[in-house]
Amino acid sequence: MRYVVAKDSRDAVALLNTGENARLLAGGTDVLVQMKLGNKTPSLLIDIKSINGFSDIFAENGGFRIGAAVNGAEMGAHAALKAMWPGVVEAVELIGSTQVQGRATMVGNLCNGSPAADAVPAMLAAGAMARVEGPSGTRDMLVAELLKGPGQTKLGKAELISSIYLPARPEHSGDAYLRFIPRTEMDIAVASAGVNLVLDASGTVADATVALGAVAPTAVVVPDAAAALLGSKLGAQALEACAAACAAACSPIDDRRGTVEFRTKIAGVMATRAANIAYTRAGGQL
Amino acid sequence: MKQDFKILGTRPARPDGLDKVTGKAMFGADKSVTGMLHARILRSPHAHAEIVSIDTSKAEALAGVKAVITGDDFADVESRWTRYTMQNCMAQGRALYDGHAVAAVAAISKTVAAKALKLIEVEYSVLPHVTDVDEAMAPGAPVLHEGVKARKLGDDVSGNTVGYYSFGHGNPETGFAEADEVIERTFKTAAVHQGYIEPHSCLADLGGDGRGELWCSTQGHYMVREVCSEILGIDASQLRVTASEIGGGFGGKTTVFIEPVALKLSQKAGKPVKLVMSREEVFRASGPTMSSSIDVKIGMSKAGKIKGAHAKLRYQGGAFPYQMVMMGAMSAFAAYDLEHVQAEGWDVMTNRPKMISYRAPGAPMAVYAVESVMDELCQKLGLDPIDTRLLNAAREGTKSSYGPTFKAIGLVEALEAAKAHPHYSAPLAPNTGRGVSCGFWFNFGGQVSVSMAINADGTVSLIEGNPDIGGSRASISMMAAEALGIEYDRIRTIVGDTASVGFSDVTDGSRVTFAVGIATINAAKAAIKEMCKRAAKIWEIDAEAVEWVDGAAQPTGHNAGDFPPMSLAEIAAISGKTGGPIAGHHEGAPDKAGVSFGVHMVDVEVDPETGFTSIKRYTAFQDVGKAIHPAYVEGQIQGGAVQGIGWALNEEYIYGEDGLLQNPGFLDYRIPVASDLPMIEPVIIEVPNPGHPYGVRGCGETAIVPPLAAVANGVAQAMGVRMFELPMSPPKILKAL
Amino acid sequence: MARVVIFGSLRAFTDGEGEMEIDAQTTRELLRKLATRHPALAETIDAGVSLAIDGEVFKEAWFTPIGPESEVVVMPLMVGG
Ligand SMILES: Cc1cc2nc3c(=O)[nH]c(=O)nc-3n(C[C@H](O)[C@H](O)[C@H](O)COP(=O)(O)OP(=O)(O)OC[C@H]3O[C@@H](n4cnc5c(N)ncnc54)[C@H](O)[C@@H]3O)c2cc1C
Repeated sequence: MRYVVAKDSRDAVALLNTGENARLLAGGTDVLVQMKLGNKTPSLLIDIKSINGFSDIFAENGGFRIGAAVNGAEMGAHAALKAMWPGVVEAVELIGSTQVQGRATMVGNLCNGSPAADAVPAMLAAGAMARVEGPSGTRDMLVAELLKGPGQTKLGKAELISSIYLPARPEHSGDAYLRFIPRTEMDIAVASAGVNLVLDASGTVADATVALGAVAPTAVVVPDAAAALLGSKLGAQALEACAAACAAACSPIDDRRGTVEFRTKIAGVMATRAANIAYTRAGGQL
Repeated sequence: MKQDFKILGTRPARPDGLDKVTGKAMFGADKSVTGMLHARILRSPHAHAEIVSIDTSKAEALAGVKAVITGDDFADVESRWTRYTMQNCMAQGRALYDGHAVAAVAAISKTVAAKALKLIEVEYSVLPHVTDVDEAMAPGAPVLHEGVKARKLGDDVSGNTVGYYSFGHGNPETGFAEADEVIERTFKTAAVHQGYIEPHSCLADLGGDGRGELWCSTQGHYMVREVCSEILGIDASQLRVTASEIGGGFGGKTTVFIEPVALKLSQKAGKPVKLVMSREEVFRASGPTMSSSIDVKIGMSKAGKIKGAHAKLRYQGGAFPYQMVMMGAMSAFAAYDLEHVQAEGWDVMTNRPKMISYRAPGAPMAVYAVESVMDELCQKLGLDPIDTRLLNAAREGTKSSYGPTFKAIGLVEALEAAKAHPHYSAPLAPNTGRGVSCGFWFNFGGQVSVSMAINADGTVSLIEGNPDIGGSRASISMMAAEALGIEYDRIRTIVGDTASVGFSDVTDGSRVTFAVGIATINAAKAAIKEMCKRAAKIWEIDAEAVEWVDGAAQPTGHNAGDFPPMSLAEIAAISGKTGGPIAGHHEGAPDKAGVSFGVHMVDVEVDPETGFTSIKRYTAFQDVGKAIHPAYVEGQIQGGAVQGIGWALNEEYIYGEDGLLQNPGFLDYRIPVASDLPMIEPVIIEVPNPGHPYGVRGCGETAIVPPLAAVANGVAQAMGVRMFELPMSPPKILKAL
Repeated sequence: MARVVIFGSLRAFTDGEGEMEIDAQTTRELLRKLATRHPALAETIDAGVSLAIDGEVFKEAWFTPIGPESEVVVMPLMVGG
């Protein structure tokens, strides 16, 4: 196996295009584990952490651009980012432990393709954009458009993500992410929800996005769950309707981590609880 | 019995602490030698299958492969218990569970060994399997081994039923007839793993001359020597076993899983062989504890007096005969003074890994069932759970439910401490419940050897034969210091290899501080006697006219005051001139270990929307006889509580219909993580054990017994619904709500 | 004569006899006499038993003295831990 430190993204793309069994290495907290277990046996490992700009977070058009190699601890330490997108940052910060936080990236979390990846529902709710670079140039696309299925993304051959963009947001807005695990850390979401809300001056929900994780082959945006919250101040009826819409959107699997019945129920609980947190963060009074 | 201590009860720095936090400590996998090979084991992908054939030729032909072995490489042994151990290490004829070893390879690297495993061709003929205890015990179940059914059992149970035990006195039916309220319940508990952080690892070197060296992570290197020398057909004297620093055992390292395999590979290859289990292998093929199915029936008067009690325990212990349900049947009602009581137990085989001890083996699940029914009776009759337990509590003179009459025990003291503790009267938040449970463990004595050398500079080197898994090097040094009357840091205790000190039983049964402690005190007495003799010679008086006070010899009787006292250091300094080195040693098999009781109290909060249980507050009371090093004792109590909490809430071996283990890793086998837990408050109670000169009782195991029911009783109160199955994982709780 | 109590499931091997008097000075002597009296128990005794002598539990300790007034409870061998 070869290990190569990519100099820039063009170099990385070229290496991906060699026809070798190549894999990008960001934090490595998925890749290295899979290699150790023998599930993945790449012949070329391309480290992207040294690429100029990949480890930076910078303000852009009122939002933030986060480099593909920025780890969870760095996102958590960025006060302005955290103030604007607390839900996305808390989702990333839930990944693993202190040790894992020092390595794990949001892009790695997305590209590993786990239906239970914590950062993904929060990114979906936030309307995050991914900057994709490949042999045919650079394009920006919604994170939602990249999701494909367990272990997969819609990235094309020799494509990589260089950064994630979290857009500017209006006043009275807030987001939140919650997951259910049987313990308090070091676990995989049984069901999770990211909620992003915009309120009007009276505290009524003017815009909403609800996304669920671990209840379908990929994280899913649930428009009906968001619609249930629109025009409400998160009264009991709105939350109940939101939970019901979440349950309807679930197509989970039965496995050792949770039954279909349990996941379906919990998805709604996570969504309504996350909605309450997002609402308060947006300045609403519950 | 000695009561006033200078050293006992203090908290000196642990002797192994610095090495462990700096990474200097040598654990099982840390040892390497030049030219060593790496071994890997091929494991059965089936729950039960006949091994029709194994073709190892392609693996043997692979460059870098130095030896390949299968069950055929092991000759039969005389003792059937050793045979079971051997066949658990390497299947012969049949693979009996998912993960059962069927072949092994030693090669120049791990990568080559892994490649070679893929080249071994095994033809299996799959057989019907059974993993559930009740199904395995039912007539008609696939039987794991013929001809091992327990004597005197009828056709109502299958041939997997390898043990039957019954304990008790009186007639429970009479008691039930006298009771105002009788409750009978059935419980199930899952198999759980000891969860030690260090996987089984060893480095074996066995030459063609039958002389061998073995380095391994174990709770008992003499046990390893006896078992391995029998399996390999070599003399015990020729196999030297050294116990590495150990990263936890909890009973799981009281047998061998890989050592005979590594030795056999080394013998065949003529080179040292290192064998390290992966975590997945640890789960699939090392010992978890038993799963269980239990009926408990208790009758109580309105006032809370237990009138009659009956338990039926069915334990599942994996693919070979074993004896462990007995301990459950003996422990079930040990906390109570009962007129009519019976506890019966059945040991059952299934297609699962062979069980091995786990902290108070057999007791936690039995006591969980009993204490759950106790709690339900208290609820139903409107009785205070601690008062009711006090009313029925065993005390000195109680004829225990398993036979013997108790000497001084500390259950009443523990219950009273629990009742008086502010935790018991603290207000409860919504969705929160408070659970209480008693717990019990026997504690053991057993064979032990200690050798103590008095060095010329006045320090002491002490060798003992029990791996230190809970801080025993500190407590042994402390007891030696107390007995000799010198400072703690003048003594260094080490765990000797099998060639350096006499035989010692395994570190288990909470026996080490008790038994090695007695041997240490006796070894110190022997050394003191010699030192007094030397002083007497110097003073030219009778040896009987010298006594040992505060670390020094001094004349006594009519010679009192004639000479200034001679300290240990002074006597040691000139020992070369007074008759040579001074040492003391002791070999023995002390009994009278003194049983230990504990009472745990827990506040749990259940999230009614998710079924998630969080532990809000936890207080554990335990009679430890005498806490030598209280910090270690507290650690034992806290650790036991945490393992019990894991057992209660999330830990379980999950088997599919196919008989395969679905969660062989710490991701889906959920032991509690630090953030799951509040500070566990340990409350040490000291009712001295009359069987030990310093009053020591074992304290390592009792603490895992009460948490299961304490948590379950708390959950029952918090949600108003009682669970009869462990673990009480969120999906199960939510379903019950 | 020590009072010997055969406990629990071991009674299956003594034709139900639960208590008896045996004249013995040590546990070894007691176990020998017990095995002669109840041959079905011999196999169990050979495999090992635990004895509680006046409340103290002993494991395989042949030369433990037994007083004339002692109560001896014979139990299966306590293992593991
Ligand atoms: C102990 C532990 C605990 C964990 N806990 C959690 C948890 O709680 N929640 C959770 O969601 N996950 C968890 N994970 C999984 C993992 O940490 C996360 O998915 C993490 O975000 C992966 O990021 P990484 O930078 O380490 O990715 P890597 O391992 O470096 O890469 C992951 C995948 O993405 C690809 N990739 C990386 N960067 C790019 C890029 N720029 N463009 C295209 N493809 C790319 C890689 O080739 C690989 O396929 C845990 C892992 C461990 C070891």
